[in-house]
Amino acid sequence: MSDKPKIRVATAWLGGCSGCHMSFLDLDERLIELSKLVEFTASPITDVKEIPEVDVGIIEGAVCTDENEHVLRTMRAQCKVLISLGDCAMTGNIPALRNQFKLEDVVARGFIETESTQIGEMPNDPVVPRLLVRVRPIHEVVKVDAYIPGCPPDADTIWYALTELLAGRVPNWDERTFSYD
Amino acid sequence: MIAPKHITVTIDGQKCVGDEGQTVLQIATANRIYIPTLCYLKHLSSWGGCRMCIVEIAGSPKVVPSCATPAVNGTTYSANNDRLRQLRRLTLELLFSERNHVCPFCPTNHGDCELQQQGYRHGMDSVRYPYLYPALPMDMSGKYFALDHNRCILCTRCVRVCDEIEGVHTLDVAFRGEKNRVIIDLNATFGASDTCTSCGACVAACPTGALFDKAAAFRGKLNTCQAVRTTCTECPVGCGLLVFTKENRIVEVFGDDKSDVSRGHLCARGRYETWAVPRERIAQPMIRTIHALKPVSWQQALREITRVRGKLDATQTALLVSPRITNEAAKAVARIAARFGKVGMFVARDETALSGADGGALEGNNSLASADAIIVLGAQPSRTHGVLAAKIRNAVRRRRAKLLIFHAHKSDLDQHADICANIVSLEHVFWDRVTEALKDVKRPALVYGAAAMTPIGVTVMSRLIQILESNPSRHAPVLVPLPTGTNSLAVAAAGVEPIEDVAPWLDTQPLQYLHIVASDEPDGGARLLEEKSVRALLEQIDCVVVQTSYQSELTEAARIVLPAATWSEKSGTVTNIEGRELALHAVLPPRGEAREDAKILEALTS
Repeated sequence: MSDKPKIRVATAWLGGCSGCHMSFLDLDERLIELSKLVEFTASPITDVKEIPEVDVGIIEGAVCTDENEHVLRTMRAQCKVLISLGDCAMTGNIPALRNQFKLEDVVARGFIETESTQIGEMPNDPVVPRLLVRVRPIHEVVKVDAYIPGCPPDADTIWYALTELLAGRVPNWDERTFSYD
Repeated sequence: MIAPKHITVTIDGQKCVGDEGQTVLQIATANRIYIPTLCYLKHLSSWGGCRMCIVEIAGSPKVVPSCATPAVNGTTYSANNDRLRQLRRLTLELLFSERNHVCPFCPTNHGDCELQQQGYRHGMDSVRYPYLYPALPMDMSGKYFALDHNRCILCTRCVRVCDEIEGVHTLDVAFRGEKNRVIIDLNATFGASDTCTSCGACVAACPTGALFDKAAAFRGKLNTCQAVRTTCTECPVGCGLLVFTKENRIVEVFGDDKSDVSRGHLCARGRYETWAVPRERIAQPMIRTIHALKPVSWQQALREITRVRGKLDATQTALLVSPRITNEAAKAVARIAARFGKVGMFVARDETALSGADGGALEGNNSLASADAIIVLGAQPSRTHGVLAAKIRNAVRRRRAKLLIFHAHKSDLDQHADICANIVSLEHVFWDRVTEALKDVKRPALVYGAAAMTPIGVTVMSRLIQILESNPSRHAPVLVPLPTGTNSLAVAAAGVEPIEDVAPWLDTQPLQYLHIVASDEPDGGARLLEEKSVRALLEQIDCVVVQTSYQSELTEAARIVLPAATWSEKSGTVTNIEGRELALHAVLPPRGEAREDAKILEALTS
């Protein structure tokens, strides 16, 4: 067992609430079992910033900013299999609700018109990632190999999908194994 | 009637027998072969718009919607294979990508949404078409329900149910291509609609969260609720209710499609007013002190009633009941009647005579449903008996039945009528027109309400019956009385005298004790006080006991208040205008100390 090289995994969160990663941590003691099979590299959980070359990349969240897009493209370039985790990555979900409005209106609502804002200002520091005009699900930007839907996906759903993928199978989704919320 | 010819078809390798004229979907469903659907709904016309129910016909390269394709004898169909599953998934992906179907905050999320269910069933873990994210409005202006265009899949189930079942055609679709959407009237809102009756049939028919009941949204998923069938007690039509409850509260009320009376349809009163309108409940017995009504135990309240009555002669006491009480409560009233000086049931103006009438059938042979002419005399069913009004509209719009309305007040049924006239201004020439209109009618039905019992109403009615009976080839008219009191026919039949004018009834002999059973009257029985001088007469009575579910001006006039169970907490039976005995099933335990009317009346005298 120990001779077999571990599968290297990197994860990242884009425009989302980090709930999918929390759900991932809900694997609880199964994380120990998982750590026997995989090695976590860059991830919000490990706090490693640079994505190295990995076997599996897992992405949570929709593509909302130029930084999101950069991380996503880096992940795609560095990984062999890319997994889209959660509804934001799959459909755009809540972050994509702003697609119904003009970007300037959305930013103005957030930074200037908010009820608690006294003197508002549009963010213009070059360090701050720039918002894209349209929020997109990740598979509209790069090729995605597998999906784990849910908002967030249950720990059981994540476990089922990961074990199926690690066994070299495509998850067979039906009404018992997944949900959109 | 000629029996339809049997045909045999093969669906997914299974030999299936059906009737000629049936669709492939109908035969498959009858033979337990599942075909997914979205825009199809039993009882409505087939539309074939969603393309979920597509099937293959052997020898043809095309796929066809099985809901709109009549089965052909000897044909082989394929309803479930990889190609069809793939096509259905693509259809679903198109539906999901077209609008903003954001499941996590949808009122029908988690099992109540047919679109979501189909997504799961077809393993749709991603959408390969680009999402359009259109900016779409919501209409929250309706009193009881809202329309969210973001979640609409344009299946038109709401449009068809509005047209074909409620018969008002408030909803339709407008605009083209991706701008295509459901509209209300000529692009109005529910709040501003002239035609919407708020029956909520569109909400019940909606497969997604596009139309939802405001009071039920986010209050519990229906598939985790208990569902109980009971009977609506808002009017004497007696529609079936399917009530969803969770943790001792009502989550949502729908029509019961197993009901022979209403077949799943309801009006705004039955569907919403009984639970979506907040009312102040009376939850425990109370006795008036100098300052206010003070909560007491049942024992104390009953002891006080016994004490007061012990000092009185039976002739100084009276019992006045609501026409909403159950048959069981009516029997209890009859049993204890001898202990009171007089017993009466308060009914609306001119309804005394209606309360003694025999009912006519609404469904089946020789009923309103098979009538080729319906005469409405002195009633406004669209206001008071919504489901009956829907039946009348359908008879006119779908079966081309004639409709003659003789009214004292205008109503929205008038627009469908062949002849519509005010009963107080009829001339001789007019009757020739009525005779002419009814010339070829074979199966007339006469629906009559309180205004038919006025002197002029009676004259008009006898004239109408004379015209109807003048042609011997005609069936005898089906007579449907329309009292407004839920159970007034049965309560009157149990021997309780209907009282229109309460003031003279109270005034004939000096009373010291009056027991009013207001039951679960929505106004708590307060309409009694609308009659002139009733309030003053009640003040003269030493002890007024009010047995009611809701706080009102009447409870303010009472010395003792007893908490009565509401429709949702009662078991028993009521009799509808057809004379059918319909069962009530308690869907909730009684609130607080509330008890059923029959039990309170029995406890009073034991």
